[in-house]
Formats: sequence, structure tokens, C-alpha cells
Amino acid sequence: MSADAVKIGSLELKNPVLTASGTFGYGLEYDDFFDVARLGGICTKGLSRHPRAGNPPERICETPAGMLNAIGLANVGVEAFCRDKLPTLRARGVTVVANIFASTVEDFVVIAERLDAENGVHAIELNVSCPNVTHGGIEFGKDPTLAAQVTAAVRRATRLPLWVKMSPEAGDIAEVARACEASGADAVTAINTIRGMALDVEGMKMRLANRTGGMSGPALRPIALRIVWELAEAVSIPVIGIGGIYTARDALEFLLAGASAIQVGTANFSDPCAALRVADGIHDFCARHALAPADLIGRARRAASPA
Amino acid sequence: MNARRRLMIARLARRESIGDAYHVLYFDVPDGLEGRAGQFLMVRGAEWGDAPLLPRPMSLLTSGAAPSILIKVFGEGTLRMARTEPGEPFALLGPLGLPWRAPDAERRPILVAGGVGVAPLLFLARELAERGVRALSLYGGRSARDLPLADELARVSELEVATEDGSRGERGRVTELLERHLSSASAASRGPGGTEGPTRTQGRTQTERPLAAKAAPSDAVEVFTCGPDRMMARVAQLCAERGVPCEASLETPMACGYGVCLGCPVPLNAGGYLYACTAGPCVDARRIDWRSGEHAPNRASPAGDP
Repeated sequence: MSADAVKIGSLELKNPVLTASGTFGYGLEYDDFFDVARLGGICTKGLSRHPRAGNPPERICETPAGMLNAIGLANVGVEAFCRDKLPTLRARGVTVVANIFASTVEDFVVIAERLDAENGVHAIELNVSCPNVTHGGIEFGKDPTLAAQVTAAVRRATRLPLWVKMSPEAGDIAEVARACEASGADAVTAINTIRGMALDVEGMKMRLANRTGGMSGPALRPIALRIVWELAEAVSIPVIGIGGIYTARDALEFLLAGASAIQVGTANFSDPCAALRVADGIHDFCARHALAPADLIGRARRAASPA
Repeated sequence: MNARRRLMIARLARRESIGDAYHVLYFDVPDGLEGRAGQFLMVRGAEWGDAPLLPRPMSLLTSGAAPSILIKVFGEGTLRMARTEPGEPFALLGPLGLPWRAPDAERRPILVAGGVGVAPLLFLARELAERGVRALSLYGGRSARDLPLADELARVSELEVATEDGSRGERGRVTELLERHLSSASAASRGPGGTEGPTRTQGRTQTERPLAAKAAPSDAVEVFTCGPDRMMARVAQLCAERGVPCEASLETPMACGYGVCLGCPVPLNAGGYLYACTAGPCVDARRIDWRSGEHAPNRASPAGDP
């Protein structure tokens, strides 16, 4: 195990930096920029059982220190992913976390079984928190009973490590996380976007065709950090932190709060090498302090007085 | 075929203001940017901090060691760009997207520009001029103030102008200029078997033309267009009706510019979407479902600045 490596249950990552689902394509769009295998891992665009075209435009708009998106889970479908994308990722030695989405428990199971049959998928991340589709998604993630059901069903369908991506809109997110842990999740990812809205004042109408969109970016970071801190307390499985991480300093905050790894999302849009920059920055910080990333996990909690 | 895409930190070399609304920004890229006409950059001030957050897609006006863009002040990002001073660092990602397809040597190019959409067309007109091809440029705007770089365009092409208030060129829309040119061009070039059947043109009936007469190459045209969606929709329609090839440079908001945010879908006639960043911005206009643009609230916004 190299000095930068961290473990998420049984899965070893080369370093604690992954890219967030929906912000990094299928990891094959980066040939001009850097070797994606240098990252701790990539989370794929959310894969559904069948291809999806996504929502009509407008799908995105900028907000203060953030953005809204309502892509609608446009993706090639799990079959095309396995056929057209995965072989290249596997050959390149990329650590692949397949993010999956469905509107029924049965479809979640079908997708997981399909991925389980492939070499080169290192973990599955359940998207039970997408705010931009009419059915499924966030409905599973807001309710501990439904979240437990889908987690348990997928758990039975695959031997792969299973991560569940939390919605910040669950009434009691710690309860949802505990329900997922009890149903066999190996880690929880926190957080997905928070629903927001923006209007075009001159046009007197919605900016997004979907009316609402998931908010991401630096504006989200303090909320995500607080939730990661709470979840690290609530569950004993690893927490993977995500929410507005742009720099190594941002990432270190999440590690110190209790995240075992982090995901870089919106930052990829303005800098395709953002995740690599963050990983290098964490490495430098650790070298300066003669520590390994694993030593940082939850370190700020030691100094915290009981809440 | 296309140059490798990269993220550069480049300092502003100079800013040329054209009134308050339009500015040309030149960047200092010592090792040169190998962008082609029709390609674009994602542009963001390197010291903007967290807001405005996203880079702005901007068509290249020139390439090389001093690549440049034309901006119109529309939102916060373009306002910052309009106030930038030489030496300010910018993050430039590019060159991105598909360039204009190679002009057909057998057809005369007609460039139809609306306002800030002139940038990729002026780039194209300059390239054509270097090869000895003088394009016909039709340039429209609300008023004379909305025709940035019109004089530059006149230097490298034959320019005709239309403004809605009549303050420069003809009063009216640029699409009316195009319609007139296409009517005369198609009248001259349409031989037997033309798409509209037998018609009386220029005082002759078709049968008066020798049967062997094919359209002379000099009569055939093709159109390249960039501007507001409604303008391009009309240009595309006029061309489609006459069987004239038409290439359009799409403008939509986008967050990444390189194919991962999926924020720039453009509806296709065949159903589904193409992503303007990687399957465009330059596309065959016949592929686009232009009607659906009317339902999109921000499609007319220049370069996606919200």
C-alpha cells in the first residue's frame, strides 16, 4: 500500500481523490489532459438500465459561487458502458466506481448484476439522491425504509463494494445512512446536490426547463462538510465527502472532518485536471506534516469538544 | 486532426473596446494556440475566485500567439471581461469543438452574421481571403452600434449590412438580405430538375435555358451563419428550402466545453440531442430542430453568459 493510499472497506484507492458522478463523463474524455489512472478513482456518469437522452434545455445555469443542473441522467446505459467504455478503463488501470440509477428496485438489481459480471468495476455507487428525475432517485434516498430496501436488494445482487450516495434533503440523513449501513452498504457518499431554482427576470420565466436543478459548487461546501462530520459520527462505515471541493485545502477539511476519501465535482468543469491538482496538493500537505492521508481522517474530531 | 486541448494561464495582452458593449480581448500565448475558425475557448479570469464560477464559451476571433475573442457585455462574467486590463491572468481551455467544415471550392461562401456572432465568421472570412476567396458577408444588428468589427469584415469580404433601425445599411433584417441573394443565386443556378420545378426566373422560362446548362460553379453558394437562434433558424430555413448547404455555429450555455457536463444539448430533427461543445459548435444546420429553440429561455444569450 503506497503512502497516499486509503481503504474504503476492502477497496484500496491509490489516493483519497475520486471524481464525482456526472462531472467526469466516463473517464475517457481526458486523453488530452492527464492519465486518469493516477486518481484514487472515478465515479461514472449515472448508469441506467436503458440509455437516456436527458432533459430538454436549459439544463444548467450559474448561481452565486455555484451552479444548478438538471441534466436528467442522460447516459449511454449500462450495456453500452460495459461494451464501449469499460474495456479501455480496465486496460488503463483506472479505479472505476460505477454510479447507477433506477426508478425501481428491480432495475437497480438488474444493473448491479450486469456490472458484477464484468472485470474492471471496483465498486458500485447507488444514486438514490438525484433531484432531477420524476421517478426514483431522491425518493429512495429521503426515506430510510426505501433506502434500506434498495441497498439490501443490490447487496444480494453483487459482491462488489457498495456505496450509497446520500441526499441532503432527507429529513434525518443520519438515519438514512444507518439504514444503508445495516442493509450492507460498505460506504456512504455525502452529499448529492441540493435542489435550487433560478429565474430569468427579464424573460419572467424559469431558467431551467426542469424548473428546479441540483445546486453544486463552493456555495455548497459548508453544508456538505457539516453533514460529513455528522455522518462520520452516525455510522462506522467510511464516509466519502463531496460538495464544492476545488482545492487540496477544501479536500483536507473533509478528511479532517471524518471523510475517508473525497470526490471532486463541479471543479472539473473549469479545470479538467482539478482532481489531480487536489491529489497532488494532499500529497504535498502530507509530506510537509510527515503524515499519510489515512492519518488525517477525522483528525479534527479529536480536538472537538463534545457537541 | 485538431490540436491538443489544454488549459493555459494567459495574460491579457490588450483590450480593444468597441463602444461600451463590445470588446476584443487579446491574450498572450507565447507558444501559440492552434485553434481553427469556428473553434472556441472556455474563458475565465484566473483570479475571479468563486464567482462568477464557470468559464464562458467564446468563439475564437483569431488564433496563434495572440488568440482573441469578441465579447458582448451581457452578464457578470462578460462585465468582468469588459473591465479587464492588460496583464490580468485568464484561464483558457481550448481549442475546443468542431471548426467550420472546409468551404466547398465550387461554391461561393455567404457568411451571415448577427451581432457578436460575427467572431467565428470574421475568422473564416480572413482565412478565405488568404486563399484568395472573397466571401459575401451579410451582417445584421439592431443598430449601427451592434455591428462590431464590421469594418474589419469589409476588408476581407464583400459586406452588406442591415440594421433594424436603419442606422447603417438597409433597414430590416439580415435574413431579408440573404433571401434576396439566395433568390438570385438559385434563379441563376437552377437548371432542369431544380428543386422547385419549372419556374419563371429573370423573365425567362426554364425551357429557354439550354438543356445542357448546368449551374455554373460561380453561381453556386453555401452559407455559414452565427448569431441569435431566431436569426439562424430563419437562415437555416431559407437555405433548406433552396437546397443550399448551410453550416451554423451554435451558441448555448455550457459549463465545461469538453463533453462532460452535458449542459449544452441542442435538439435534433432526428430526435434526441447533440452536445454543442463536442458535436459542434459548427454543425450542418439541417440537423437542428430550430423550432425548439424558441422554448429555451436563454438560447439567445451570447456565449451562455447567464
